[in-house]
Amino acid sequence: MSLSRRMVIVLTSIGIISGALLMAVNLLTKDRIAYNKQKEIEGAIIRVIPGTRASQKIYEEKDFTVYQGEDDQGNLLGFAINTAAAGFQDKILYIFGLNTQLTRINSLYVLGQKETPGLGAKISDQRAFLQFWESKDCDQPLSLRKPAVEKEQLASSEVNTVTGATVSSRAVLTSVNLALEKIKKLKEEGKINIEGGHGG
Amino acid sequence: MAGRNLWQEFTKGLWLDNPVSRQLLGMCSTLAISNAVINGIAMGLAVSFVLICSSLLVSLVRRIVPNQVRIASYIVIVASFVTIADRFLAAFFPPISKALGPYVPLIVVNCIILGRAEAFASKNSVGRALIDAVGMSAGYIIALLILSSVREILGSGTILGYRVLGTWFEPWIIMILPPGAFITLGILIALAFQIERKVKQRR
Repeated sequence: MSLSRRMVIVLTSIGIISGALLMAVNLLTKDRIAYNKQKEIEGAIIRVIPGTRASQKIYEEKDFTVYQGEDDQGNLLGFAINTAAAGFQDKILYIFGLNTQLTRINSLYVLGQKETPGLGAKISDQRAFLQFWESKDCDQPLSLRKPAVEKEQLASSEVNTVTGATVSSRAVLTSVNLALEKIKKLKEEGKINIEGGHGG
Repeated sequence: MAGRNLWQEFTKGLWLDNPVSRQLLGMCSTLAISNAVINGIAMGLAVSFVLICSSLLVSLVRRIVPNQVRIASYIVIVASFVTIADRFLAAFFPPISKALGPYVPLIVVNCIILGRAEAFASKNSVGRALIDAVGMSAGYIIALLILSSVREILGSGTILGYRVLGTWFEPWIIMILPPGAFITLGILIALAFQIERKVKQRR
C-alpha cells in the first residue's frame, strides 16, 4: 500500500473512531449536564424567593431572564431576575429576587464570577457583601455606601461597598438598578403579568 | 532509556524526570489551577486519565500510524480523551468543572501528554508506556498537591476548604493570585534541584 493511501486511511479511521466515541459520550452525559444547569438555576430561585415550590421562566432576552416563583397552591410569591454585571475581569452572573409588587429585593446571590480572588471575589461572600442585599427597598434606585458601615446603619435602599472591591461592588449595583428599571418597564408595557398567579 | 527496569520506569516520573519540577512541562495549567488543593486533585486526575489512556493507545497504534501523520493522530487521540474527561466532570462534578474553567479542554495542548506520547509511548511497548504514564501521572499529582497545598494554606489559611490556621492568620492573598503561583513554583523547582545536588554529592 502506498504511503499516501496509508496516511489517508489511518487518519480517517482515527477520526471516525474518535467521532463515534465522542458521540456516545455526549449522549451519555448531555441530559445530566442540562439537568445540572437547570438544578443550579432552580436552587438559586428558591434562595432568592423564599418558599418557592415551582418556578417558571416568563421573560428572556440576552443576559436578562425573569422567573416567577409560586408556592404549593400556585400563588405568585415573587420574581427572580437572572442577569449579568460587567465585572472587573468578566461577567458577574447573579440572580436576585423581588416581591410581587417589585418594591423590595429579597436577596441576591452570585452564580458565577471571575473577579480577583481575595478582593473582587468577595462579592460572592455572604458576610462581606450579600447580606447587605437582604430586604432592600427598591422603589428608587439603590446606592452604595462607602466606606462600609454597620448593617443597622444602612438606609433601606443602601448597600455596603466591599473594601478593596469597589469596582465589583459598583458593577453589581449598577446592573441591579438597570435590571430594576427594565423589569418595571416590562411591567408597564404589560409584557410581564404581575397579577396572574397561574401561567404567565 | 535502555536498560531501565520496570520499577525505574515508574519511579523516574516521580523524581528524576518529574514532569513539573524537572521537565517543566505543562506549566501554564499547573500555575493557573494550583490555587486550591481540590482543584489540584481534580486537574491531576483529569491529566492522569488523559495521559494514561492516550499513552496506551499511542503505543498500541505505533506500528500502524505512518511517521508523517503521527502528530495529527496523537492530537486527535488526546483531544478525544480530553473531551471525555471534560464532559464527565461537567456531568458529575459541576462545581469542579466550573472551578477549572477552560483548563480542562486545554489539556489537549498540555505538553506532558504530547511529550510522553512522542518521546516515549510511540517508541515503547504497551506495558512500558503504561508504566511510564502512571509514573508521570503520579509525579504530576504529587507536584500539584505540594504546590496547591502551600498556596491554599498561605493564601486562604485552609486546606481542602477546612481552616487549618487560626483566625489570627491574615491570608496572604498574593499566594492565590498568579504571582504566588510563580513564587511557589520557583521555590519548589529550586528545592528539587538542591536536593538532587546534595544526593549526588553524597554518592
